[in-house]
Formats: sequence, C-alpha cells, structure tokens
Amino acid sequence: MAYYLTVSTSIAIVLISVMGTHLLTGMNGMFSLGQAAFMGLGAYTASILVVTFGVPFPIAVVASILVTLVVAYFVGFATLRIRQDFFALALFGFGQAMIGLFTELVQLTGGAHGFTNIPRITTPTLAFVSLAVVIFIVWSIRRSHFGRDSLAIRGNDMAAKSSGIDIFKHRMVIFMISSAFAAYAGVLLAFYNRYIDSNSFGWMISVTWIIIVFFGGRDSLIGTLLGGVILLVLPEVLRFASEWRITLYCITILFIINVMPKGLFGSIKLPKFVKQLFTKKQQEAE
Amino acid sequence: MEFRLVLQQIINGLSLGAIYSLIAVGFAMIFNILKFSNFAHGGVLGFSAYAGFLAATKLGLPLFPVILVGMLTGAVTAIIIEFIAFRWIRKRNGQLVYFFVTSITMLMLLQQILIIYFGKAFDYYPITLIKTKVVHLGELTIATNYILTLIATVLAFSLLTWVLKKTKVGIAIRAASNDLVATGLMGINADFIVLATFAVSGMLGGLSGVLYGLSASLTPQIGQIVVKGFIASVLGGLGSLTGVAIAAFALGLIEVFLIATIGSGLSPVVIFFIMVVFLLVRPQGVAGQSFVDKA
Amino acid sequence: MENNTMIKITNLSKTFGGLCAVQDFNGELDEKQIVGIIGPNGAGKTTILNTISGIYKPTTGTIMYKDRDIVGMKPCDINRLGIARTYQNINLFKEMTVIETIKTAYSWRATYNVLGAMFSLPRVHKFEKDIQERSMRWLERVGLEDHADQIAQSLPYGMQRRVEIARALATEPDVLLLDEPGAGINHSEIQDLVDLIKGLYEELELSIILIDHRMDVIMKLCNWIYVQDFGKSIAQGTPEQIQNDPIVIKAYLGEEDINA
Repeated sequence: MAYYLTVSTSIAIVLISVMGTHLLTGMNGMFSLGQAAFMGLGAYTASILVVTFGVPFPIAVVASILVTLVVAYFVGFATLRIRQDFFALALFGFGQAMIGLFTELVQLTGGAHGFTNIPRITTPTLAFVSLAVVIFIVWSIRRSHFGRDSLAIRGNDMAAKSSGIDIFKHRMVIFMISSAFAAYAGVLLAFYNRYIDSNSFGWMISVTWIIIVFFGGRDSLIGTLLGGVILLVLPEVLRFASEWRITLYCITILFIINVMPKGLFGSIKLPKFVKQLFTKKQQEAE
Repeated sequence: MEFRLVLQQIINGLSLGAIYSLIAVGFAMIFNILKFSNFAHGGVLGFSAYAGFLAATKLGLPLFPVILVGMLTGAVTAIIIEFIAFRWIRKRNGQLVYFFVTSITMLMLLQQILIIYFGKAFDYYPITLIKTKVVHLGELTIATNYILTLIATVLAFSLLTWVLKKTKVGIAIRAASNDLVATGLMGINADFIVLATFAVSGMLGGLSGVLYGLSASLTPQIGQIVVKGFIASVLGGLGSLTGVAIAAFALGLIEVFLIATIGSGLSPVVIFFIMVVFLLVRPQGVAGQSFVDKA
Repeated sequence: MENNTMIKITNLSKTFGGLCAVQDFNGELDEKQIVGIIGPNGAGKTTILNTISGIYKPTTGTIMYKDRDIVGMKPCDINRLGIARTYQNINLFKEMTVIETIKTAYSWRATYNVLGAMFSLPRVHKFEKDIQERSMRWLERVGLEDHADQIAQSLPYGMQRRVEIARALATEPDVLLLDEPGAGINHSEIQDLVDLIKGLYEELELSIILIDHRMDVIMKLCNWIYVQDFGKSIAQGTPEQIQNDPIVIKAYLGEEDINA
C-alpha cells in the first residue's frame, strides 16, 4: 500500500510540471529544454531556505515561486522575441547554465553530491490537492482568451498580430506560469524525496515531459493527463529498468507523432453532457 | 614559458574548434535545406564514434579504415534518422515543434541505445591507432591527435567545397538550401536531395565523432556536443557555411580559454550569456542574412 | 464639408536588400473614403499595405494615422489604434473554428487579466459571453452564422474570405485595409462581395484602402485610385480619369497595344 502511495504521489508531482509543459509546448508550441532547470531552481531555493536558513516552509514555497518568476521573466525577456530554433537553443543553454550553477555552488547546494536531510513536508494530500489546483488553473486558462490566443498564434502568428494580440506579452505570461509550475513541483519533490542533486534537472527530464504531452494529446488537457499517467505508471507496473524506460518513451513518441500527431487522446474532449453540467451550474449562479 | 603554454592552449582550442566546425557545418547543412535544427545529429556523432571504436578494438583496423567506418556509419545513421524522424512530418507540412520533438527524441534514443550496449563508463580508442604520440616543433610538444584533427578537417572541407561547387549533387544541394520547393519544381527529386544532404552531413558528423573519440574519451553522452554545433551556427550565421565553420573555431578557442580560467563547471554559464547577447544583438550571426517574412 | 484625413503617407519607400519595392509613395485616405491602389504584379501594392499595418518597417517616409506617426509601431498596437486588414493569401488560424477566429479580435479588450483567467473569476465568464454575442453578430452581418462552429479552413474559399473580413471588423476599426479581397472569387460571387463591402462601408462608416486586380471591384467601390508600377506612383485620380489615362493603360497592357 505504501508503495502505491509513494508512486502515485511522485507521479502527481511530475504531472504538475507536465501541466506547465502542456501550456508552453503543447498549446503554444514553444520548445523549451530548460523547464526542468526551473524545477531545480524551485527545489534548491526552498531547500536552502528551509534547511540552511530555517525559513518556515510556506514562506519558502512562496519565495521559490517568486524567485522563479523573476528568473523566468529575465530569461523570457531575452529569448521570447527570437525565432523558435534560437529559443530552443537558448533555453537549452539556460538549463545547462543552471545545472552548472547548481553543481558549482557546492557550499550552498551540495553540488553533485546532493542536498540531503530535507524534512519530509510534502504529504500525498498536499501533492494531490496541488495537482488538482494546477489542473483547475490550466483548465481556466484554456477557456479564457489565453487559450484562444495560444491556438491563434500557433495557427498564424502574423494574423494574430494584426488582430491586436501582443505575441511577446502572451508568450511571457505562458512561460512564467509554466516555469512557476515546474518550480512548485520541484519544491514538492525536494520535500518528499528528502534529497535532490544537480543531476536530476537536466534537459532529458524536460524532454520526458514534452514526450508525455505529445503522447497524450498536445491540445487536450485530459489527453495530457491520461498520457502522463500511462507513461509514468507503465514502467512501474512492468518493472522496467530505467534505460529501457527512456527507450520505450522515445520509440512510442516517434510512432505517435508520425501516425497520430494529435496524440493518443488528442481528439477527446469532455463528453458534451459533462460540459453542460458545468455551464448549467454557471448559468444558475448568475 | 607563459607564451608556450598559451600556444599549446591555442592549438588545443583550434583542434577542438576543428571538431566543432565539422559538427557545425553538418548541422547547418540540414538547417539550410529543411529550415530546422536537427538535434539528432548528436546521435550520428555518437554512433559513429562508437562504430569507429568497435572497428579499432574488435576488428583491429588501423587509423584510416577506422575513420572511414566512422564516416560511413554517420551517413547511414543520418539517413535512417531522416526516414524515421523527419520524412513523414515534412510530407505533412508539420509544424516546427514536431521536428524539435522528433529530433531531440532521436538524440535521446540513440544515446540510450549506446548506454544499453556499452554501459555508462568511459571507453577509449586504442592508443595504438596513432603511432607517434607527439610531435616536437621547436620548443612545442604537440599531440599528433591535434595535427590529425586539423588536417582531416581541412581535407574534409576542401572536399566538401569541391562537391558543393563542382558536382551535380552538390549544386542541387545548394539550390535546395535556397529554396527546396523551387528546386523540386525544377525537376530535381527533392526527396533525393534531402537524402544526399543527410548523407553528406552524416559523413561530416561521423568524421567529427571519430576525431573527438580519438582526442578525448568515449561516453554515450558524447552526442551532446552537437549543441556546440548549434551555438556555432547561431554565432556564425545560419545560411553561411563558411561563417558557421569560422564561428565554430572561435567557439573552440573560447571554450578552451574559459575552462582554463573559470573551470568546466561554470563555462556553460558564460557561454550561455555570450549566446544570449548574440541572439539579442545580432540574431542573424556574423555572416548570416536576416529572414524577413512575406505577408 | 471638410473630411478628416485618416491616413497620410509621405515619401514612403521600402527596399529589401537590392530590391526597391516601393519608391516615394505619397497618398491620403480621408474619412469615409474608399481609396484604391492598383497596378501590375510586383508594383508594390501589398508592400504599402504591409508598411501601414506594421508588418514591414519603411526604409524612409512617414505614415500619419489621425495625426500620429505610426512608423515603427508594432502590428498589434497599430491594430489597437484602429487599423485592421485582410490578406491576399487568406491568413486564417489553423485548426480554429469560425467563431473562435472572430473572438480573437476581442482578446486585447478582455476585462480580465491573467490572474482572473487562471481562476475562472466571474468576470471571465461575463466577458466571454459578451464577445460570443458580439462575434455572432459579426457572423450574421457577413452571412456566416450557420457555420460558426465549423473549422474555418474547411470552408469554401469565398466563405473563408468573409471570415477574414469579419475578423478584421471585429477589431472595430476606423480604417480597413483590404488586400485583394476579390482574389480567387469566381465571377458570379464578385457582385456579392462588392455589395458586402459597400454595405459594411456605409453601415459602419469605415475608411477603406482597397487593393485589387479586378477592375469591376475597383471601379464600383473607389472614390480615388492610386496607380503603381514597379514601385513607383504613375498616376492617381477618379475611376473615370484612371480608366482613360494612357500612362495607366500602357503600364497594364504594354506599348504595342496602344497603337493597335
């Protein structure tokens, strides 16, 4: 029982980051290999604040997210106006730079040997409730003009511009939210596993999240979640060694993108009657 | 004494830069034709490096056949990558992000295959491949490796220039770099050109993989130096192979200098900042042209 | 009766590398006027529109919109000031439905910010409901209300044009730039298009700059016409003047035909 709880809690935490990637890469087509570095930023900031400086956990969480938002703002400012290729490269470079910092600032971070003795504060409840809140936020964003604008910019950025959409501002908002999600997931992770090291936040982790999003359905919220559950649970169930897990992911996504580019669940939307349930409730509330 | 050290480092940097330039040009060729960044080129690198390693250790081949094996593996790997990762998306006019996903996935997949087969530990090309370890030029002691790398790179680029300027295939590739669709309309088989470009790019990648393996150690993660090729392409200017090659040499020198001064841990940080400055100030690179969208 | 000048273009030039697409263009659009720009292919007409809407930055020259120089402004800001446009190659949003396409025109006017969007505050629902109604009215105005939920790019060409026009109108502009609205429209539908544009022009009191190759469209709609050839202005005048101007005829038909 405890095993299942551990696994599902870990999966819930990863899904929080995946939700960020769903917004950034799935809906907006922004290919960032540096999102895992934001997870590391959140994890290290909170861990250092709590363990080294005795800051209470809630304040550390808020501080981690604020730090990440600031860093994301500056990175975004430098990189969001340029071509997609260069954005991808720049975010990769950012990720490498962050890992370099995590490894080099050994006094602060424990470097490659890791940061240990982090108290366990993340409970399964906290993780699941957080995931639920994050899902709600992403669902809300999708229904708002931000969701529409994401599709519009992706569909034809020139037409989007001449319809009044400020593409840079839009991308900045999405990028900051996505990075904040990754950072928060990093905090939860650090205070669940009680240990983090600079090797856990590299580009391959970012790619895993992207694979999950495109496997499940880049435009479908449920698709991404279901896809994530499948890809994260399957290796546990089938007891794969980690090298084969990655190989499996790669082969799967290559297959899916070639054969079903919208993702496994890409065309699924909430059945109409469930949707009507929500809209009815809203109409009654007015 | 100081001067000699600096000179050694310069040669070191040039040798590294030579490898980077081979990677960068191979990378840029694909970019020019298909207009996207092929991360999977790193997989070509890695596979070729290990193929050369196997040729040297299992088959006991001498230096030049080993290099040829590497180049051939590179070409074959690149062609396979084009078929699996890019062909169908291109036929569908897929969005850019799909190419990114498949190319990074291929890189990861090829890397994983190497990890599974060879394990995560270091491997080394047999030292018997190069007869003389060092060459003495006056006061300098230069590893033969570096000289080999530089000569091989110069030869490869000379050959490449000849192919691009004098052969039918090469001219077709240059035309396709300008406008793939128009070239197709001219009666040239666009699919074949793409394949040819991948093959040439793969051979360059294969050569760089073997040379890198010879001068350093082998790990499955070796493919990640493809990013250096990407950076050099940005700095040099996409669209200009010469600019890219020169930028790669510069990058090699800069990197050697950075590692000597601030260490290998922090040099990615500095390189990131240099890159960002370039992207903001001169995104078309030193030699490239800016792209203007037509309404 | 003095009409206000909506757009005043002075000494506009645009070069791309060695190619001079537009050379020293001067033109004006008065309030409630329909101005046409015509000329053979490559004459620089679309380039002029692109500089007005901010897609290109002019090499030299000024573009005044209501006493404000808009050169160097971002396309989104120019649109927010009140200039909307359509495109020669229909630029609809891939994979979006017709109604969603129209709604994007209202995005920048949203009454909620990102925090509101993140938490589905009541004002979000209120605004979304509001623009749903307004967008539907635009669709009714162009006759597409029955196709609101279809994917825009799946519609026939003529309807796609109308979607583009509706999207431009939904930004509630004072000035409308139409780039070859008649392109690809077959002969029987052209009159409908002209009527539609005329009707919208009168109802909404728009000022329009119109580019087209179809002389019937231009002559029926425009009060004033500028003629371009190889980037240079070669003539301007009323439709009647232009029709009979030998310079214009020569530009379109070539020298031999004048004497034939």
